[in-house]
Amino acid sequence: MTGLMTSRALALLFWLTAAIIYLPIGVMAVFSFSSARYQILPIPTYTTEWYTRVFTDGQYSTGFVNSILLASTVSFVATLIGFACAYSLVNARFPGKTAFTLLVLAPLAVPLLLVGIALRIWTTMLGLQPSLPLAGIGQVLYVLPLAVLNLRNRIAQLPKSHEEAAWALGASRLRAIVDIVLPACRTSLMATFILCFTFAFDEFVIAYFLTNFSVTLPIKIWTTIVTGFDPTINALGTMVFAFSLILGVTAQWLFLRKDP
Amino acid sequence: MARPPVVNLWQGILPALLLMVGFFLLPVLYTLGLSLTSEGTSGLTLVNYQSFMAQPTLTDALLRSLVLALSVVFISTLFAWPLAWYLTFCVSDRRRVLMLFVLVAPFWTSFTIRAFSWQMVLADTGMVGATLSRLTGAPVSLGFLYSLPASIFGLVLFGVMLITLMVYSSMATIDRRLLEANAVLGGSGWTAFREVVLPLALPGWIIGAALTFIVAVGDYAVPTLLGGGLRPVLAQVMLSVLKGTYDLPMAATLASLLVIVIVLCVAPLLLLIRGTRLQS
Repeated sequence: MTGLMTSRALALLFWLTAAIIYLPIGVMAVFSFSSARYQILPIPTYTTEWYTRVFTDGQYSTGFVNSILLASTVSFVATLIGFACAYSLVNARFPGKTAFTLLVLAPLAVPLLLVGIALRIWTTMLGLQPSLPLAGIGQVLYVLPLAVLNLRNRIAQLPKSHEEAAWALGASRLRAIVDIVLPACRTSLMATFILCFTFAFDEFVIAYFLTNFSVTLPIKIWTTIVTGFDPTINALGTMVFAFSLILGVTAQWLFLRKDP
Repeated sequence: MARPPVVNLWQGILPALLLMVGFFLLPVLYTLGLSLTSEGTSGLTLVNYQSFMAQPTLTDALLRSLVLALSVVFISTLFAWPLAWYLTFCVSDRRRVLMLFVLVAPFWTSFTIRAFSWQMVLADTGMVGATLSRLTGAPVSLGFLYSLPASIFGLVLFGVMLITLMVYSSMATIDRRLLEANAVLGGSGWTAFREVVLPLALPGWIIGAALTFIVAVGDYAVPTLLGGGLRPVLAQVMLSVLKGTYDLPMAATLASLLVIVIVLCVAPLLLLIRGTRLQS
């Protein structure tokens, strides 16, 4: 149907697009080992100095620790709430189910900026100070739709008969969920956790709006970038890119793998 | 068949419901409401919107956001359709998995770092300028960074990925026999596209275009790093209001305008989806 020439041209278009998407990241990775401050070729000497600096700069490590803690908490809470929500959406009929589903998925269809600004205005009205826990709540809103969508698909695929057998043997609904449904979903739960973590770890706008002085890694990166150029960002950016890529690949791989 | 033990499944959705209502729905409604109030006057007022209209920096920012988002959707669409066609009809299954992965993987990492890496490459001291200078033997100043086209470029990369993915996922479900029927009846590749592929893949495009529009119109990182601060978009003025003058009703007004722009631009698209569903 598609001629050979057209097909070749389209292949070229695809790989050109891919090359453009990867170009700056590749350049950043290469120059993160350059001793020069700017992108000069040929590279004067190779150095790992910028990487050392990332690890010795206290603010980066504080940001990193904050981000890890925040993203883990956010992903754990989102996976838990998402599981309860997904299980009910699959198994229950209740009035307003469509409206509720739309509400839970709504943050996907709204700019993050809006989630951040509305939450900031709302919490200011309530008299709450901006803080990391508030940023965490904002980020749960952001990743919850992903958790619900992924887990709902998985739970809907489970054969109903195992749970029914447990009920017949006298298990309560909760007991059947804990003993039957949770173990059957463990790969998806892990994948969901990692996926949420990937997004929460890199999330910048909500955290920026809802904290005052606490620093997460994306906030530290942002302030470093906008207050003037610092080559350590090349090194840090390369590491963050690799880290997120590994997480994303792992999550994707787990989703593709079937739960036993 | 065993009867399910009686438990009210409302308990399962309760945490999500409380969270969404308490920290999403109410804040958004409160923000919309706040834009209609003003200190000193009681009751509802349009004074914030009037003050918005009176400030060219603000109205320009709104227009710029709109131009940015529409251009991003338009340009991304031009690239996305051929790419989705290619992925659906021209490659083997195994290759396709790899290619989809290649396309999507970079977008798992932060917008900020990707925008920053472009800032470095496009800067006058960056790779592209340096390479051009070397090739031509004269200093080349790109003059591309810190402009609206640079912001558009940065967001188009995201848009191409997302719209391609969405169009592809619709195209992949098309029954190939329809295309064979078209070929048997003497239809060309172009008729196959116009009569079969386009209408059936349109819902995917609509979702992709709507999401791309929403991201582009509300993004802060790319317009700041690639577009610069001199000609700000709505997101940038919103942040400077919030971190600067701290005029909450004005921040709420800007946020409400963002909502209005999104509803006005995305609603027609979604109506189009309903139209295509009714047809088929």
